[in-house]
Parts: sequence; structure tokens; C-alpha cells
Amino acid sequence: MSATGFTGIVVIVLFLGLMIFFSIINQEPKIKNIRSIPAYNKINQEINVAVEDGTQLHISLGRGGIIGPESASALAGLSILKQVIEKSSVCDYPPVASTGNAIISILAQDTIQGTSKAISVADKGRNPSGELVGVTPFSYAAGTLTTIRDNNVSANIYTGWFGSEIIWLTTAGERQSTPTIAGTAQLPAQAVIYASASNPLIGEELFAGGAYLGAGKIHLASISAQDIFRWIITFIILGSVLLKFLGIDTFINNILAGSM
Amino acid sequence: MNIKLNAPVSTAIAIGVGLIVLAGYFIPSITNIRFALLRTGLVLAAVALLVGIINLLTVHFKKMGADNENSGYSLILVIALLLTLVIGIIDMVQSYLLGQPNFQMTNWIFTYIQLPIETSLLAVTAVSLTYAAASILRKRMDLFSITFFFVILLVLLGSFSIPPATLPFLHVIRDWIVRVPALGGARGLLLGIALGTITTGIRILMGTDRPYGG
Repeated sequence: MSATGFTGIVVIVLFLGLMIFFSIINQEPKIKNIRSIPAYNKINQEINVAVEDGTQLHISLGRGGIIGPESASALAGLSILKQVIEKSSVCDYPPVASTGNAIISILAQDTIQGTSKAISVADKGRNPSGELVGVTPFSYAAGTLTTIRDNNVSANIYTGWFGSEIIWLTTAGERQSTPTIAGTAQLPAQAVIYASASNPLIGEELFAGGAYLGAGKIHLASISAQDIFRWIITFIILGSVLLKFLGIDTFINNILAGSM
Repeated sequence: MNIKLNAPVSTAIAIGVGLIVLAGYFIPSITNIRFALLRTGLVLAAVALLVGIINLLTVHFKKMGADNENSGYSLILVIALLLTLVIGIIDMVQSYLLGQPNFQMTNWIFTYIQLPIETSLLAVTAVSLTYAAASILRKRMDLFSITFFFVILLVLLGSFSIPPATLPFLHVIRDWIVRVPALGGARGLLLGIALGTITTGIRILMGTDRPYGG
């Protein structure tokens, strides 16, 4: 096994250990103990609005699949979809999901049907939908526009893998005067989202959806584990800068090269 | 035939396959198994695309029937999809059975319909991006938005090759922004995303997040 492979396993095992540790010590974790993210506050607020006004939420899961670097954002989007369905179970209209990837579309339908069944709303005559709207970036954006323009949609949530075509979706939402909550793992699209969405999710905030929407203690534990690792990375970076500044890195390199 | 796996079985399969694929990244001796599983995943993805297209057709057939102001668009979509499908099948028959040049009609559709439409949409995207950047201060007047706006302005001015924006100091500022704060910020965001990705993956492997089977 290579050194990189060994480091990878160590990181994953450490993460797993920390997540289990935090979920055991925080038997009754509280959401109020984590910093406030306005975008998730807005989602909670919009769920309440949808319940009161008899409207529905639109969740777009992007066009990332489950094979490749985009899979994590798509899975994080599915986790948010599940929480929104659970929280909006008393809505007259269930959330509508749209995707630009066939596998995620099947998983979205499975999530909608499974969650509706679990919370016993599947038999209320509701017809929750998760639809594949297009498989290329622009066909996906163009196909999603019709859902955004639906008068019954009171808020749009975009969580998943998007490119710069996200601008079409965010501006369409803003033009409809509906709140737009958006987050992605792709950096250029994050800049676009920051400029155009009313409630952007920056960086890793996309992956914290479960913790902020009440998905359970393992989600809160994973936030704590990420914080620990963030501190470790910060110390490694600062330590490396200090070593470089003091010239100790050359000293260590010389020792490793055996030239001392 | 209705095949339905119970939740524990599907969960066990998903976790088992996930663990093998993950281990394949670190342990060279099982790399072949990882590739075999990923290849199977790709085949399943192709089948999923067919299911997705059927779903797309079903959704738009429903929209056409309903009292929907967008039913016209749904009609166009269904006609275009069926037409492309028929042309694709004819092309396939011609290519494989009759030995004629490969997929001429399908290529024509992509070259003369799909490509120009997507290119024009890309042009509209550029306009939309400029509008979004210009309107950010109207949307959120805070320190970060002001910084964002002026950084965009500086980088754009530094990228111009027409006078008076060709001033050397603008190029220097642009290069510094791209090399130092933008690169540092991007790395910071990527580190955060990597941490989030790891926790999401671990939750899936632990079975606490199950996007399969509800």
C-alpha cells in the first residue's frame, strides 16, 4: 500500500471514529449549538410558508450522478430533499423534485416515495414527483424553468452539482419573486450562486443540510468531526508556514536526504 | 414481474459494494474488483437513462393532458423526443444492417439543431452572468458583496486588451488577485468541500443516509 493510500485510510478511520464518538457523547444534541446558516433558516421558514399558504417547494438536484466527483453533492441534495419532505408532510402539495441525471432522478423518486410512506402521507392521494428534465446542462436548465414558473411554487432550493447554467435557474426564481436557496460543490458555479441567489450556501455548507434540518445526531456529529479536522488542517498549514519561514523545512529535507 | 428487495438486503448490498470500491482506492490488489463494480455501475446508469426518458415522457404526457399553460412546450418536447428516437433507430438500422455511413441523420440533428441552440444559450448565459454581477449590490449590500463586486470589476479591467484598461498596474493587480487571494480562497473552499464529501460518504457507508429504498 502506498503512503497516500495509507493516509487516506487513516483519515477515513479517524473521521468514522470521531463521528461515532460525537454521536455517543451527544445523546441529545441541539441544533442551536451550531452556527446559524441563513440559507437553512430560510428553508425552514419557507416550509412553514408552504404549509400555511398551500403552496409547494421545488428542489432541483442538479445534473451530477453517483459515479464521479459530483456524487457527494448529489447525495447531499437527496438528504436535504428527504428532510424537506418529512418537514412538509402536512403541506397540501408535496415538494416537487427535478434533476438532470437519470440515476439521481430514480433515487429522488425513491426518496420521495419511501419518505412519504414512512411518514404515512403516501395514501393521502398526494402525487409527489421527481422528474428528469434534461440530460445536458442547458436542456436541464430550460426544462427546470417551467417548474420554477409554476405559480404554486413558493420557493426554489437548488442543491447538487451545477455548472454556470445555474444562473438561469436562480435568475428565473428571482424574477418570480420566490426565494432562491442554492449550493453546489463546483467552484465556478458557487461564484455564480453567490452573485445571483438570494440565499447562497457557500463551500461545505451544502453538506451540512441534514444537521440543520433535523436529520439526526449523526449529522450533527459529522459537523463536529469536520470542525476537528478543520482545526487540524489549520494547524498543519500554519505550522508549515512557520517551518518555511524559519528555514526548518530545508533542515528537515536535508535530514531526509541524508546529506547532513 | 415485481422484484422488491427488503431494506436490510438493499442496504447490505449498497454498503458492501461501497466498501469494496472505497478499499479499491487504497489496496492495489483489489483494484480489478473496484473497476468491475464501477463498470457494472456504468451499465446500470445507461439503463437508468432509459428509465429516466420514460419518466420524462410520462411527466410531459400528463402535463399535455392537464390544464397547463406550459402544455405547448410539453407537446414540442414529446414530438422532438419521438422524432429523434425514430431517426436514431433508422440510422442504427442503416448503419448496422445495410452498411451505410454511420449515423448521418443523427449527426445532422446534433450539428445543425442541438449545437446552435446550446451555443446560443451559452451566449445568453454570458449576458445573465454580467447582469447578476451588476445587480449583486442591489440584492445584498454587505461587506462581502461589495468586495465581490469590486474584485470582479478589477479582474475584468485587468483582463481587457483595449485602452485605457491596458494599464500595466491593472494587469499586475489582476494577476495578484488570481494568484493569491482567489487561489487561496478556492483551496479553502475545496478543503471544506472535501471534508463535507468525506462525511457524506461515511454516512452513506454507515447506512445512516439511505437514498436507496427511502
